[in-house]
Amino acid sequence: MRMKSIFRHETILFLVVIAALVILSIQAEQFATIDNLLNQGRFLTEVSLVALIMTFVIVTGGIDLSVGSILGLSAIVLGVAWKKLGLPLPLAILVALSVGTLAGLFNGIIITRFKVPPLIATLATLALYRGLAEGISQARSIRGYPEWFFVLGQGEFFGIPTQLWIVAFFTLLTGFILTYTTWGRATYAIGANETAARFSGIAVDKTKLFIYAASGFAASLAAIIFVSRVSTTRSDMGMGLELDAITAVVLGGTSIFGGKGTIVGTFFGLILIQILKNGLSLAGVKSDGTYIAIGLVLILTLLISNLFNRNSEG
Amino acid sequence: MAKFLMEKINRDVTLKIKNATKSFAGVTVLNNVSFDLYRGEVHSLLGENGAGKSTLIKILSGVHKPDQGKVILENKEFVFNSPKEAFKNGIATVYQELLVFPELTVAENIFLGHTPKTKIGLIDWKKIKADSRKILDSLDSHDLDVNARVGSLSVANRQRVEIAKALSQKTKVLIMDEPTAALADTDVKKLITVVKRLREQGVSILYVSHKMPEIFELSDKVSVLRDGNHVGTFNIKDVSEDLLVSKMVGRPVDKLYPISKGKFGKPILEVNNFTDGLRFKQVSFKLKRGEILGIAGVVGSGRSELAQSIFGIKPSKGGSIKIDEKEVSIKKPKDARNLGIAYIPEDRGTQGLVKEMKISHNVSMANLDREANGILIIFKKEMQNAINAIKKLGIRARNALQLVRQLSGGNQQKVVIAKWLQTEPRILIMDEPTRGIDVGAKSEIHQLMRNLADEGLAILMISSELPEVLGMSDRVLVMNNGTITKEFSKEHATPENVGSIMTQKVKETA
Repeated sequence: MRMKSIFRHETILFLVVIAALVILSIQAEQFATIDNLLNQGRFLTEVSLVALIMTFVIVTGGIDLSVGSILGLSAIVLGVAWKKLGLPLPLAILVALSVGTLAGLFNGIIITRFKVPPLIATLATLALYRGLAEGISQARSIRGYPEWFFVLGQGEFFGIPTQLWIVAFFTLLTGFILTYTTWGRATYAIGANETAARFSGIAVDKTKLFIYAASGFAASLAAIIFVSRVSTTRSDMGMGLELDAITAVVLGGTSIFGGKGTIVGTFFGLILIQILKNGLSLAGVKSDGTYIAIGLVLILTLLISNLFNRNSEG
Repeated sequence: MAKFLMEKINRDVTLKIKNATKSFAGVTVLNNVSFDLYRGEVHSLLGENGAGKSTLIKILSGVHKPDQGKVILENKEFVFNSPKEAFKNGIATVYQELLVFPELTVAENIFLGHTPKTKIGLIDWKKIKADSRKILDSLDSHDLDVNARVGSLSVANRQRVEIAKALSQKTKVLIMDEPTAALADTDVKKLITVVKRLREQGVSILYVSHKMPEIFELSDKVSVLRDGNHVGTFNIKDVSEDLLVSKMVGRPVDKLYPISKGKFGKPILEVNNFTDGLRFKQVSFKLKRGEILGIAGVVGSGRSELAQSIFGIKPSKGGSIKIDEKEVSIKKPKDARNLGIAYIPEDRGTQGLVKEMKISHNVSMANLDREANGILIIFKKEMQNAINAIKKLGIRARNALQLVRQLSGGNQQKVVIAKWLQTEPRILIMDEPTRGIDVGAKSEIHQLMRNLADEGLAILMISSELPEVLGMSDRVLVMNNGTITKEFSKEHATPENVGSIMTQKVKETA
């Protein structure tokens, strides 16, 4: 199954990415420069971190719509803990990460304990967490972070943006977990048939709790990098991020019904969306045109992939 | 007069299947199959899982198109493009998995897709309800409320709704795919009456079942398929059960149950006053090493709930479980597994297997954490275990990487068993171990159970098939309405004794 899908959806996606790279390089001179591509990597970081864990969430058959709001909430908590409460910045970062993780855990508890469908549970907390962020921030942005903090979002290591190292680390880590560990297997089993997983002694609820908490953690980590990149904290940060992340995951071939999906796919999905956004705008396409292009690519890729993957009966 | 008419009618061919051939992905699943279905006859279709019955049914009901061959309905050749088209032309199908809509009422379900309209084009509710009532009455289902939500009905009643739906249009051919697989004995009897009544009304019935007694009770003719080929069509009067089985399997089958050595060890599982406060109460029994203890009871007697509470899937409210004379606490399936209990659930499709996964992944599922290196899956070991299981249990599959959904029912059940044997259990609970499985695989599973017991495994077997309970068990407990009402030793467990206790003061089913 895994081998097969690498030959199928992920391959198709890879070819589409290559095609997009070639076409965009021809259309826009500035596109295929190292500087531009690395810079695009910076923009890609926040949504990537969220999308990697979102892959796990969707593979279990769930969804997490609250990640954008968790990002906003964590960013505000970071700013407030540092500036208003006077905590040292490293401690404030820890507080922000904990709040994000707890917010994700809370999603998991609503979903597993009270059997609320993930779509509804996280739709509710999407509003709840955003409301909290706005309430705490009082619509004021927070600035003036110390210079060392910008290393995360604006600095580089060995010529490559700092956050890209972080993304690379988490991509490898999540890909490894999903493919090679019992946790990954449990994730697939839950998504493909939750009852059978439970009857097989798999700790279904515990696994889900962990995944939603990880999703919250990823969103708060994204928040910290985001704040570092733009040097400021605002309560509307990360609005709509959930849709970008879900789009990338689904474009990557993860079934919205659960049970199927890979980190490799999500990775290509993320890259494809970002190069389309950037390349098209460099080629002079307006933003509405870019959105249309992204929508079309999503539909086309899934159509082509379905064509090749249509299951024969037997 | 009536008799004369019947005989005349009987000679009319309603449906002709001519040289039907179908293959999927290069594998021929139906090869040049032809036979005739006469008006007002019950024609049984026999064959092991994978013999091509489902494919044939799907061709007749418009789900698949044949690669070659013809379907001739009343002298007119048809190629159905959709199930709806087949239905409109008078071929209705009642599938094993019922396709009713649980949120709709009985009447709404019956007329879904062809609702009668009033003059101004609104739905004619009066007519829908009246006609539904009429159809249900004709099926002897006077007690079924047309306004009831279908989701609230028993399986047997839901099936009656499906049959009523099939009859809500002028139906010439009714295809029934294992209609009794999920029914309790009393409901089977009712269904048989219904089918006989339909035959009297001139409907031709193509009846698929694994259960020999009902095939002999119902059928006029029987056609046997094996590996996609039509082995033959027989008048039911001219054949014996043994002959049919050997035609199906292609070899003589040992129909007898494997013999118990009658040697048991110490009690390993002791259940005392076990209660869930709802579906079963004050249940006590002991299970010995090497013993097969059968629990007989109708569907709804609390058997499965009891098993699932022992296994930690459903909560219990009182009583105790002892293993090796030590009281244990089981809160979740993993606790049970760690104590050496395995549970083969009654519904392999939803509870037993992840059908979209490979055989190897299913086989390892219950034991993966123990076989892993920390959290790392050892793929080599997983693969080797799967290959060994395929060999040991005789699972017929291309290889260990095949998706479970592509296997036949019997082989799927073997995968579930393999999964739990992987945990090296000492106590094996089997809930309906051979439901919906063909005779060949059934006798293999029975032999396997006896071999495991001889190796010292303690087996608790739940079954609604009385012959299976009586044939396999060393001791029989009868469960009725949530309590164990009687225990029989092997010698005293006769069909009459056990059957009468099983159905005593049965709750009303409607």
